[in-house]
Amino acid sequence: MARPSDPQAMTPRKPGSTRTAPPQVPDDFWTQPRMRTYLLFDATGIVYLLVGLVALRVAWALAGGAPVWDALLRSFASPGYVIFHVLALISAIFVGVRFFRLFPKAQPAQIGPVKPPPPAVLHAVLYAAWGGITLVLLAVFGGIWP
Amino acid sequence: MKALLLRFEPIIWLLFGAGIMVGTLLLPGYLMTVTLGAPLGLLPEGALSFARAHMIFSSPLGRLVLLAIIALPLWKGAHHTRALAVDMLGHHSDALIGSLLYAIAAIGSVLGILAVLAI
Repeated sequence: MARPSDPQAMTPRKPGSTRTAPPQVPDDFWTQPRMRTYLLFDATGIVYLLVGLVALRVAWALAGGAPVWDALLRSFASPGYVIFHVLALISAIFVGVRFFRLFPKAQPAQIGPVKPPPPAVLHAVLYAAWGGITLVLLAVFGGIWP
Repeated sequence: MKALLLRFEPIIWLLFGAGIMVGTLLLPGYLMTVTLGAPLGLLPEGALSFARAHMIFSSPLGRLVLLAIIALPLWKGAHHTRALAVDMLGHHSDALIGSLLYAIAAIGSVLGILAVLAI
């Protein structure tokens, strides 16, 4: 009869005579260079969360009319907002570069009869898309096009 | 609570993955213009005046882009902040912190849909 698997199924009923120490995370784990970069990547989550909430304010300001929109842009010129948005820009670039570097490694070896393109091709496509979308947004929001 | 999070894991991962990919593709252009360029007067006159910004963001594509800029970073942010909390604080508070963060992302996404529809 099939039943859900039990992660403790292979645990002996009585503890063995050889004692093993429970796994411990070293206190200084965050000082390791790879771990630091990984934690920094995770920490961009806080910035992204705040970016999403501020973007919600942008949408409500557009729905609120010209005075609300102008007040929002004036508030964005305050030092606190400028520092935050520069940090958000750095975070977005950091996330993009790291994610695109990992992207080819995360692809399956084969999807049916098709193999994924070589990493260099994937990188080129990702960076071309990133650059292209950024240029289009700069042109549209920057008043150049259409 | 933990069991509920595990049940929604595929949806959370879908939104988190979209948040990393689409959010990151859109954010530099948005941040350089809407949140930095226009307020600091770095864009041409009237580039993001209310009339022009309203015209851009009230179009179907504009609404979709703005919704992506609101909702997807929320899900990426919630999931990565949860992972950071697990790394720094351990697993004992994961269910509470994870639920709280995903609730913020879910409520923010719903408010985002209402906001872009109200433009």
